[in-house]
Amino acid sequence: MPRLKAKYFGELEYLPDAEFEFPAGIPGFERETTFVFLQVPHAQPLVFMQSLRDPALCFICVPVHIVDPQYGLDLAPEDRAILDVPPEADIHIGSDALCLAIITVSENEDPTANLASPVVLSLRNRMGVQAMVRSSPDSLRHPLRAQEYPTLCS
Amino acid sequence: MRRRAGESFLIGPDIEIEILEVGPTRVKFGITAPSSLQIVRQEVLLTREENLTASRTASGDMIERLATALSVRQKTLRG
Repeated sequence: MPRLKAKYFGELEYLPDAEFEFPAGIPGFERETTFVFLQVPHAQPLVFMQSLRDPALCFICVPVHIVDPQYGLDLAPEDRAILDVPPEADIHIGSDALCLAIITVSENEDPTANLASPVVLSLRNRMGVQAMVRSSPDSLRHPLRAQEYPTLCS
Repeated sequence: MRRRAGESFLIGPDIEIEILEVGPTRVKFGITAPSSLQIVRQEVLLTREENLTASRTASGDMIERLATALSVRQKTLRG
């Protein structure tokens, strides 16, 4: 099995299925074209988006449906092409693709999840994109609010 | 300013924006500008800033608290 150095977990082996290619990287990190998606039992349901090239780069993500059960994914034609999803076809999250929101943690503020630009992983061709579905600043920083997540403020 | 498909306008002497196509929900532009100018969609810029912040602020300390809080929510959703 391939091995990598992970920011939070040190050196580890991973299943090749966990590796996804991002042809253009993601905005701000255009040179990072391979990410490995890791889950660890004590940190469920978090998903760690670890750069293969840079061990110090790891985004903390959460499946979008945990943040918003009604979340609908609307992909641009160019993103569909990369993910091998036909132009008009519905995307079934879970069977066709995985959809994650990157979490931002700021001091003295509730953590937020980026629902405006979800990371979408195709299970058909193991490609990934950071889709830009909405430009609203609200969904870019969707608060994981204290009342919904009481232990964050304890 | 109002424009139809096929019409264009200029910003300064070097930048021309042409309206190529007007659809029900989308408008297609053609942009002619010096190659030194970076043209980027606003959401890409916002996403870039958010990604940079997320990568800087992520730390191991928060993982357990985040995971606990989110798994509580997951159980609530399922239950």
